[in-house]
Amino acid sequence: MIQIKNITKSFPSVVALNDVSLEIQDRSFYGLLGPNGAGKTTMMNLLIGYLQPDKGELLIGGQKQTPENLNLRKNIGFVPQTIALYDDVSAQTNLEIFGSFFDIKTNILKERIDEQLNAVGLFERRKDLVKTYSGGMKRRLNIAASMLHNPEYLLCDEPTVGVDPQSRNAIFDLLQKLNSEGKTIIYTTHYMEEAERLCDKIAIIDSGKIIAEGTLGELVEKLPYDEAIIITKNKQTIQHRNSLNDFGVILDHDDHFELKPNNGIPLSKFFEKIEHLGIGYQSVELHKPTLEALFLHLTGRTLRD
Amino acid sequence: MKQILRLVVKEYRLFIADKVALGLTFIVPVILTAIFGAVFGGTSAGPRGIRLAFVNESSSPIATSIEEALDTTKAVRLLKTFRGENTIEQKFDSLSAKEYVQKGSASAALIIPADIFSDTSLGLKVKFFYDPKNDIEMQMLKGIVQRTMYSQLGNLFPQMMQKQTEKFLGADSGGLFNREMALLISEYFEVDTNLILHPNLMAWRDSSETTSDRPDFFADLIRIDETQLVGQKVTNPWATRSVGGWAMMFLLFTLTGSATSLFDEKKSGVVLRLLASPISRIQILWSKYLFNVSLGVVQLVFLFIVGWLMFDINVFPNFFNLLLIITAAAIACTAFGMMLAAFCRTTQQASGWGTLLILSMSSIGGAWFPVSFMPEYIQFFSKLTIIYWSMDGFLEVLWRGVGILSILPNIGILLGIAALVNVVSVIQFKKGHVF
Ligand SMILES: Nc1ncnc2c1ncn2[C@@H]1O[C@H](COP(=O)(O)OP(=O)(O)O)[C@@H](O)[C@H]1O
Ligand SMILES: [Mg+2]
Repeated sequence: MIQIKNITKSFPSVVALNDVSLEIQDRSFYGLLGPNGAGKTTMMNLLIGYLQPDKGELLIGGQKQTPENLNLRKNIGFVPQTIALYDDVSAQTNLEIFGSFFDIKTNILKERIDEQLNAVGLFERRKDLVKTYSGGMKRRLNIAASMLHNPEYLLCDEPTVGVDPQSRNAIFDLLQKLNSEGKTIIYTTHYMEEAERLCDKIAIIDSGKIIAEGTLGELVEKLPYDEAIIITKNKQTIQHRNSLNDFGVILDHDDHFELKPNNGIPLSKFFEKIEHLGIGYQSVELHKPTLEALFLHLTGRTLRD
Repeated sequence: MKQILRLVVKEYRLFIADKVALGLTFIVPVILTAIFGAVFGGTSAGPRGIRLAFVNESSSPIATSIEEALDTTKAVRLLKTFRGENTIEQKFDSLSAKEYVQKGSASAALIIPADIFSDTSLGLKVKFFYDPKNDIEMQMLKGIVQRTMYSQLGNLFPQMMQKQTEKFLGADSGGLFNREMALLISEYFEVDTNLILHPNLMAWRDSSETTSDRPDFFADLIRIDETQLVGQKVTNPWATRSVGGWAMMFLLFTLTGSATSLFDEKKSGVVLRLLASPISRIQILWSKYLFNVSLGVVQLVFLFIVGWLMFDINVFPNFFNLLLIITAAAIACTAFGMMLAAFCRTTQQASGWGTLLILSMSSIGGAWFPVSFMPEYIQFFSKLTIIYWSMDGFLEVLWRGVGILSILPNIGILLGIAALVNVVSVIQFKKGHVF
């Protein structure tokens, strides 16, 4: 279990984390979702012992994390937000170097390296210099380099930034497999789709504060409505506004109507009506209860602001 | 310690993989040293065989001895004859010598007139004609001629004195004064008064039978007896001096480059990855330090061995002591590189400042030309540089072949500089800008 207790961390110009407390159960896939500058990386840097908190403490598997507690690091794998690899040597050499600091017997390390290279699909290219790799390949190697010592906890700081969809899916599969094998994963991201797809528990962080925490279901329940249909205002939609009253409550906004559907009305009926009225589909948008909507609801901003 | 060694191994693996760094560390210095070696002529400093047309119209003994002295000077080639139109070899006269220079066949002409040492003049008089197209050569030639003539002045000095006193006091009282001075001098220096009053009668030549009378007394007053006391076995003095200086400069460049690898590691996030492993910041710093010192020692030893192969520098007779001073130099240079890494924020900053500091330290410290050529206030700053004390140590070891005791001050000063610089760097590192 990872316990984050009342952590505050300030930099000269900003309070990066403000009294943050979280508890992360073993074997969970825990998401830390927030926009850029929210404090995600700062939290990771505290968890690996690179930074020290101003207040509060961090316990990993019951042990206190400090810059001096080197032994604890053998239990932690860390995937930095940047591609933390040596560009001028091969993937193989990178893994040999990063694996050499964990007191692993040479022959076992060799096996682990092959295993990790296979796991991220880079075994064939292991002899090539890293600088010849695509962004996605580097990202995958970035993860492999963190798993050589077979740690119990894996901390991933936005591991898919700038990655092609194929590599992204490969990374998701890899992490889900690791989680199913029993690893505890902490995963930071500013993509709500990633958090929704991967994480069984999510904390939403903004400006150094946790603004919501729970499972995906628990989080969306915090939204005051389930679903909404947004209808862009134009000549046709304004003209036919009242024909849609049967479907639910319509709220008037500056440039759109917001339809809160009545319970039990099938969407198919609604779309039939739209078609019948000659309203183009492009002026109709379905809002599902998402983390994005929750974030918007809680902060008044979108995640990508 | 195990982690530090693993980190050092890491540094070497990356260094060997970096072909550019390898080339800059080992190949480029060799090429540059070879070029400079060729430019400066390898074996000896100074010019050889500057062509000087020479006419001696005087029969005085002093003219003869100037001629002899110039004849034996390696730097000038004295031309006394030339082939005229009818291809008959003839002696120069002052006209033909001048023409010879105008044609460009000789760099200058030196004419010793019949009245080189006249009764009325205070000193020697010669004529010198030159072609100013090669200014430096001319300066050297003038220097050599002046030096040669000056070396003969000792013999003339008493005669000139006597002539001057007679001129000012009149023949009678002047003569009296001279005789009394001669008596006084002969009493103090135990020389024959005759020798003082009429030295040219017997003093110039052939001292074999008059040794007891010390006929060379006056010449001895000024003569500079040149004997090379140290470095007698140094086969290649120029190279011995300068290879050390160049090597130090290259070393500083290498170590500045590799100390700033920390910036690249920080930028890429590798530092985070390392620190997320069971590695502490201080271990990373130590590994960089150890790697740089060992790389520095390897580079310096390599360059000295290249110096041995190319210029015959005697590195082996005193190799152990050379290794000691090399290690001290590498430690000091590493401290310098680490300080740059501590104060700068980016590789670009560090290499900019590094280049500026290294070039000024190298020139002031004597890597390019001897410190003794520099103005005194600059020489003060020379002694503040790592280069100065390292080069001084190299020369002590290679030139004088001294033992460990004599280089202890150099080692002490270098390690002292290193310690001081390190303290400053550690304070700066602790502020946490770097990592
Ligand atoms: N080393 C630092 N020095 C000063 N400010 C920092 C430093 N690291 C992060 N910050 C600031 O702390 C805040 C949180 O940053 P970070 O944790 O990197 O956010 P995220 O990873 O969520 O994008 C930001 O305002 C950032 O500018
Ligand atoms: Mg971040």
